[in-house]
Amino acid sequence: MTTKANYQPGSFKKTNARYKWTPGTILILILLLVYFVMILYPLIWMVLSSLKTEREFFRNIWGLPAAFQFQNYTKAWQMGISDYFINSVLVTLSTIALTLSVAVLAAFGMVRYDFPGKNLIFLLGMGGMMFSAQVALIPLYRVIQDLRIHDTYWAMILPYAAFRMSITLMLIRSYFLSIPKEMYESATIDGCTSFQTLLHIYLPISKPILLTAAILIAYYAWNEFLFSIIFIDSRALKTIPSGLMVFRDALNTDYSLLFAGLTISALPMIIVFILMQKQFIRGLASGAVKG
Amino acid sequence: MSLSRSGKVLTGKPRRIPYAAYLYVLPMVVLMGTFIYYPIFVNFYYTLHNFSAFSLEHAYVGLDNVRLLFSDPVIRTALVNNLLYCLISIFFQVFLALGIAAVLEDQLFRRVSGMLRTIYFLPVLISMTVVAMLFTQIYAPRGLLNSFLSLFGSNVRTGWIGRSSTAIFCAIFMSQWHSMGYTTMLFIVDIQKIPAELYEAAEIDGANRLQRFFHITVPRVKEMFFVLMVTTVSGAFLVFNDVYILTRGGPGNSSTTLSVYMYDMAFTQDRMGYASTIAILMFLICILLTVVQKVFIKTGEVD
Amino acid sequence: MKKLLSFALVLAVLLSMAVLPAAAEEKVTLRFFHRWPNEPKGPYMDEVIRKFEEANPNIDIVLIDPVLNDSYKEKIRVLVGSSDIPDVFMSWSGSFGANLVKSGRVMPLDDMIAANPEWADLIVDSQWGPFQYDGKQYGIPWSMDGKVFYYNKTVFDELGLTPPDTWEEFIAVLDALQAAGHEYPISAGFSAEWAVSHYLGAMVQRMVDPAVVAKDYALEGDFTDQGYIDTLNVFKDLSKYMNPDPNSVDHTYARNEFIDEQSVLCLMQLAEIKYVADGAEFEYSFFDMPALPDGKGDPNELEGAPEGMMISSETKYPEEAAAFVRFFINPENGALMTKMTGELSCVEGAVNEESISSPMQLEAVELIKKASDTTLWQDNAVDATVASAFMKGGQLLLTGDKTAEQVMEDVQAALVQAKQK
Repeated sequence: MTTKANYQPGSFKKTNARYKWTPGTILILILLLVYFVMILYPLIWMVLSSLKTEREFFRNIWGLPAAFQFQNYTKAWQMGISDYFINSVLVTLSTIALTLSVAVLAAFGMVRYDFPGKNLIFLLGMGGMMFSAQVALIPLYRVIQDLRIHDTYWAMILPYAAFRMSITLMLIRSYFLSIPKEMYESATIDGCTSFQTLLHIYLPISKPILLTAAILIAYYAWNEFLFSIIFIDSRALKTIPSGLMVFRDALNTDYSLLFAGLTISALPMIIVFILMQKQFIRGLASGAVKG
Repeated sequence: MSLSRSGKVLTGKPRRIPYAAYLYVLPMVVLMGTFIYYPIFVNFYYTLHNFSAFSLEHAYVGLDNVRLLFSDPVIRTALVNNLLYCLISIFFQVFLALGIAAVLEDQLFRRVSGMLRTIYFLPVLISMTVVAMLFTQIYAPRGLLNSFLSLFGSNVRTGWIGRSSTAIFCAIFMSQWHSMGYTTMLFIVDIQKIPAELYEAAEIDGANRLQRFFHITVPRVKEMFFVLMVTTVSGAFLVFNDVYILTRGGPGNSSTTLSVYMYDMAFTQDRMGYASTIAILMFLICILLTVVQKVFIKTGEVD
Repeated sequence: MKKLLSFALVLAVLLSMAVLPAAAEEKVTLRFFHRWPNEPKGPYMDEVIRKFEEANPNIDIVLIDPVLNDSYKEKIRVLVGSSDIPDVFMSWSGSFGANLVKSGRVMPLDDMIAANPEWADLIVDSQWGPFQYDGKQYGIPWSMDGKVFYYNKTVFDELGLTPPDTWEEFIAVLDALQAAGHEYPISAGFSAEWAVSHYLGAMVQRMVDPAVVAKDYALEGDFTDQGYIDTLNVFKDLSKYMNPDPNSVDHTYARNEFIDEQSVLCLMQLAEIKYVADGAEFEYSFFDMPALPDGKGDPNELEGAPEGMMISSETKYPEEAAAFVRFFINPENGALMTKMTGELSCVEGAVNEESISSPMQLEAVELIKKASDTTLWQDNAVDATVASAFMKGGQLLLTGDKTAEQVMEDVQAALVQAKQK
């Protein structure tokens, strides 16, 4: 089980041998640097291009902009990126809230009770990991229409929560299993209802795993594209990934403005990563195992 | 909240059925039932029908759609593209990523590895829409790639995503650019869990770097290796965003994949029944991969 | 606990946002749906709605959140089939409008037209036809358009070239341009498939016997006429004069190449005059698609169908809805449309000295009026599966992956699927 991956930003194998640079290792270093440039240069180019004028973009593809066109950013922001940004934040937070609440309840029910049908429900809960969104897409489109939530935030939040349920449930459930049952029993003796136990005992100790799960859900909800282009028509409700498509169409060929929009859209996750590098990596690592 | 404490603790034999437990799991069952299981179930019904998204009439066509699936040349193109995606992704995101992870964790590269690792990981943080729009400009006739190639000689004006021979590789390469840092990071996390003493002992025994890699690192990351193998393969067979945004499957259907073709059938051509049949094909691939995963990897359900 | 509370709060906020604002009770409320969320058309629609509400204080126009092209196609079809059908909505003419009319929920407007003869007379005659189904008028044309070759007149004049009428003349012009150093005289962007269909639609109309096309597009033929193959081959030959790999760029890119004087010709809509006028530092003009060699179709038709407004047959306020449509399509607001958006209004005289941003728009109106008939956009004229086979086939024809014969085989296979829908 790799859910508790220990990522240490600065840890290295402490071997003491005196390593020498050989032609082989130098070649490897060069290759690493080439890869480094291949990743970084397009990103730098994106940022630089976003600060050029439209003409400069075509005429001067490599160089620095003559003057930094910071107003590209305000323009892009006003041309719709701000709406998509807010929608993305709303949808992401709501998805986290809904997924965690439902998963916490279910995990608690399964860990603390024994009841007929428990195995079946456990299988149902975990089975979601087998299926990707594509597989259910066509009927899901109909379900969304029939529930009359097409073109509302719910058309994203509910399916997102459903498709993130299994992994979240798995993380929380295995964490709950590690909490000694004596804690539950003593709380019950103290007169707590089972729901109170969940709130006052289980949740506070589970903070780390809830944070891990939340990051994993956020990563998914922030980037989700397929549902959001199919279930959402209105520009006013679009999240960043699908909204950028509209943004691009509205621009004609003002690529520097497009790049400003792209840069703004790329920033939030990078900031979250910088702030919570450790939890972020742990979240993605646990997501990989069963995601 | 009126959930009583009548719920029985796991220990001991339950005498009554703890109904409260059902209340706890109910939201999950409803949510997953409505948005995952019911649709998947209905998919099988849809496959047997031809219908439009805009009417309630379903014309029963039996297995016509399945027969069509087997004879449709575009399905073959899509499967070949998915397979290419899969093989190239395995090479980059599993094998090469493991190599890079091992190198970065090597003492020799300690000075640069922290920064390299972070930069390699950057694309993972950027959503595919942004990446694909960026690469559209990189691959454009007057884009970054051609300007770079033009530095070495004559003026290159190739429209990389407009040729059927190169379009799918444009998408695949972009995908490696986007995801390799992710698998590399996961291998690094795994390698860091290997006790340093193992390496020290091997070194004292005179093992060289390659020997240490194959005898210590590889066995210890085996589980992660299989996990990433399975996720890479399933990701490659389901890939949608990358291709949809970059090429929309074109020119013609030359760079299409199963997902993109399904989307096209359902939402541009309004052939919902046939789209459902393509979904079933992907469903079977998912199931097959899950079985493979279960065979190779312990379930890891309980710590 | 705090966490849970804040989650609950977020959910509550969302819930309240999801609930639609309750409709006003006393006022007449008309629900209106169009497809322009962006500038410049979005603000234009808002402006006309504002003016209408000002002039009719008892009528409230509720705008259903506009959505772009493909989403609109999907959503309007859903809405027309549902109990949420808007009172007034925009539609394309041709088969798209026909599909909406087929639902039986679109109101025939002949009575309204008969009751307002002076108003109806204001609309350009040639634009009514594409909205007639089974002899009844279901839509009021609103904007008109045409697909033509724009050419750089400055370059043409320097080289002594004139707009061609026949294909031979066209090729001669292109050869002359190449000889003068314009390696790729035509800029084209086919990465979005519809751009292919704009070429093929006009070319098929000029080449293939109209009776055969009508039958084939109605899915009652078999797409075996040799004319289709000939058309595709002509298209393929024409591509020698286009920028390399036209499938790799989109139409706006091609337009920009024209504006940037990287090319001399570009097939564009008349509605695009505004973009060209804003950017071009040279003289330009346009000509209709030349006649194809041995073509059986009328070479004086012009590709490009009007868009228009429709009224729901379920509306509670047919009078008010009709008044709204008449208000939208009147000389004043037609002129405002041309002024704000560059689109050509179907109202006679609305495109005038005051409203135009380029004198070319007056010429465009003349060109539209001069045309013998309207050729519908191919992707509106024929079923989506067949249209897609033409468009994808066209892309692969240019890459050399398919021959014209193979493309037509795909079209015939698509026809089989389309019939089963």
